[in-house]
Amino acid sequence: MSEIAVGISDVGKRFMRSAERRNSIKERIVRGRARRAEDFWAVRNVSLEIPKGSVYGLIGHNGSGKSTLLKMIGGIYRPTEGTITSQGRIASLIELGAGFHPEMTGRENIGLNGSILGLPRKEIAAVADEIIEFSGLREFIDDPVKHYSSGMYVRLGFAVAVHMKPDVLLVDEVLAVGDEEFQRKCFDHLYALRRAGKTIIVVSHGLGQLEALCDEVAWLERGSLQEVGEPTDVVASYLAKVNAEESARSPMSAALRPHDHEGGVKSALRVTSVQIASTDGSSLNHAETGTTFTMKVGIAMTEPVLGPNVRIALQHESGPLVTMISNHRLGFDFSYVDGEHIVEVDLLNNPLLPGRYRVHVDVFDHTGSKLLDSWNDALEFPVRSATGEIGQGFVQLPAEYRLT
Amino acid sequence: MLTALKRQHALIWAFANRDFATRYRSSVLGWSWSLVQPLAILLIYAAVFSLVFRVEAPPMGNGATSYAAFLFTGMVTWNLFASLLTLSMTQLKSNGELLKKVQFPAWAPVIGASLVQLIQVVLELIVLVAMFLILGNVGFTWFYAIPILIGTALFAQGVGLMLSIMNARFGDVMYIVAVVLGALYFLTPVLYPMSLVESSSEVLAWIVKANPMSWYVQAMHDAMYGLVAPSFLGVCALLVGGFLTFWAGFWIFNRFAEDIGELL
Repeated sequence: MSEIAVGISDVGKRFMRSAERRNSIKERIVRGRARRAEDFWAVRNVSLEIPKGSVYGLIGHNGSGKSTLLKMIGGIYRPTEGTITSQGRIASLIELGAGFHPEMTGRENIGLNGSILGLPRKEIAAVADEIIEFSGLREFIDDPVKHYSSGMYVRLGFAVAVHMKPDVLLVDEVLAVGDEEFQRKCFDHLYALRRAGKTIIVVSHGLGQLEALCDEVAWLERGSLQEVGEPTDVVASYLAKVNAEESARSPMSAALRPHDHEGGVKSALRVTSVQIASTDGSSLNHAETGTTFTMKVGIAMTEPVLGPNVRIALQHESGPLVTMISNHRLGFDFSYVDGEHIVEVDLLNNPLLPGRYRVHVDVFDHTGSKLLDSWNDALEFPVRSATGEIGQGFVQLPAEYRLT
Repeated sequence: MLTALKRQHALIWAFANRDFATRYRSSVLGWSWSLVQPLAILLIYAAVFSLVFRVEAPPMGNGATSYAAFLFTGMVTWNLFASLLTLSMTQLKSNGELLKKVQFPAWAPVIGASLVQLIQVVLELIVLVAMFLILGNVGFTWFYAIPILIGTALFAQGVGLMLSIMNARFGDVMYIVAVVLGALYFLTPVLYPMSLVESSSEVLAWIVKANPMSWYVQAMHDAMYGLVAPSFLGVCALLVGGFLTFWAGFWIFNRFAEDIGELL
């Protein structure tokens, strides 16, 4: 593992702002050469050593320079400063099927794409059958690719790229292609490549995927290196930064909506506030999947009210009602209450999956039939992931698996 | 340069194959279109210039005159030059998506496309030869056409490579070239014999003679139409000139193609 497949030393890439590019001769003549002040560095002072036979992940925000770095490794961009050295053939999965011609058949495109990726004709002919087999498109291989679905297109592209016998494979956000079965196949193939001592460099926003796949991860932020190391460590600090930044940028991300007391309900009870807080009591502006948090509903009464029924409905941003929580149904009875109180509801191990949720609060009397106050759309708050996993659906139910 | 071309012959070939296979794939008449178009233009120009403007062609090698044959000889040469030039210029843009994503020599699709265009030139040449056979204007000087056309192709490809990389940088180049080509066509003795310009304006004659394409077209007129052997040195000069232009174009192209991924 000590051998270096790709050595990046003090690399920087400067771009001219596209709006300021002298793209026509007239502009060039009229306004002269672009001034240095309009340049910006997409990547700067980056040094990495990517060991041979490793799977290396690059993470960072959009525009952090990861794809630029990948393109420099692939030789598409020239570094403005610094040097990149690499061993062996580099193939890139930057855009699958980029070289396909829609009018040509799948088989013809395999030949063309292989040549573009630099494989001699003889070798292409030798692996063509394997490629067709891997793509699972034998039936359609002699049809023009313009008739292919986007999934088929990408499958053929992936099949061609991974069969080009690369020593270094560059992968940019393409792992989320095809159906479940094909994805499995892709991963198996990537693992097989790794076992064969090939180096794989992956750029992805699928942090969970990266954690599982990579030996080492580098985090880029505004073109410079933030952290390099164990995938779990780097991903964790990246996520912490992302969440902190998002909170700082939008302190009202858990947004309280005005209470309009609609329907003109006249009663002794008013809902005065709705907010979310962490278990230690500090106010939150987002919740995390799997972490217990508290919903606080402030109520104020002008006269004692018997056993109010505080119902909290959670609606997903896409529309569906996820759940409705009621103290009566859960067996919590408040008997007579008077004055001002905070009703605290702990959502244990928050089962809500990442997304935005709206909170509606209704308070009924002890019979559950008379509405005392209603605050529709009282609060909207985001649920974020602590692990990078997004999950599917709205909730993650507590469940246990057993093999019998 | 030659070693680079040799090393990448498979890639050039792959692009040529692609362009060949897809060129007329969705049309019914297919490759016949590559003849229909120039022949239609030949017919129109021959009618307009011989009937309306009464341009007279010089005598052929066999003593007769045929304006159509004279015109077509020039057109074949000019078309070779103009088509390679325009085709080369559009290649980088049309392969842009690919060039932005995969690293490979950017001149490969340019040269590949030109190779396919050569098929059309050969088809036109066959029609030209058939035409002269019917007219009974045959001679050994025909063989000179081969080095002359190779020189023309190399010259055109050299200029095409320079212009294509300039066009990637400045999108205006394409439009400027379209205008210049339009003017150049009339400054090349394709529609009229050289003698016509010489007798009308000295300045114009000087410009026409300074135009390199005139040298190639005139050499073709001599070899195919007039059946006069062009001077050996002259043909050598055309061939070497073509080669040097190609070499220069290739060098300039590579000089500026390093950042092609960003330019497109």
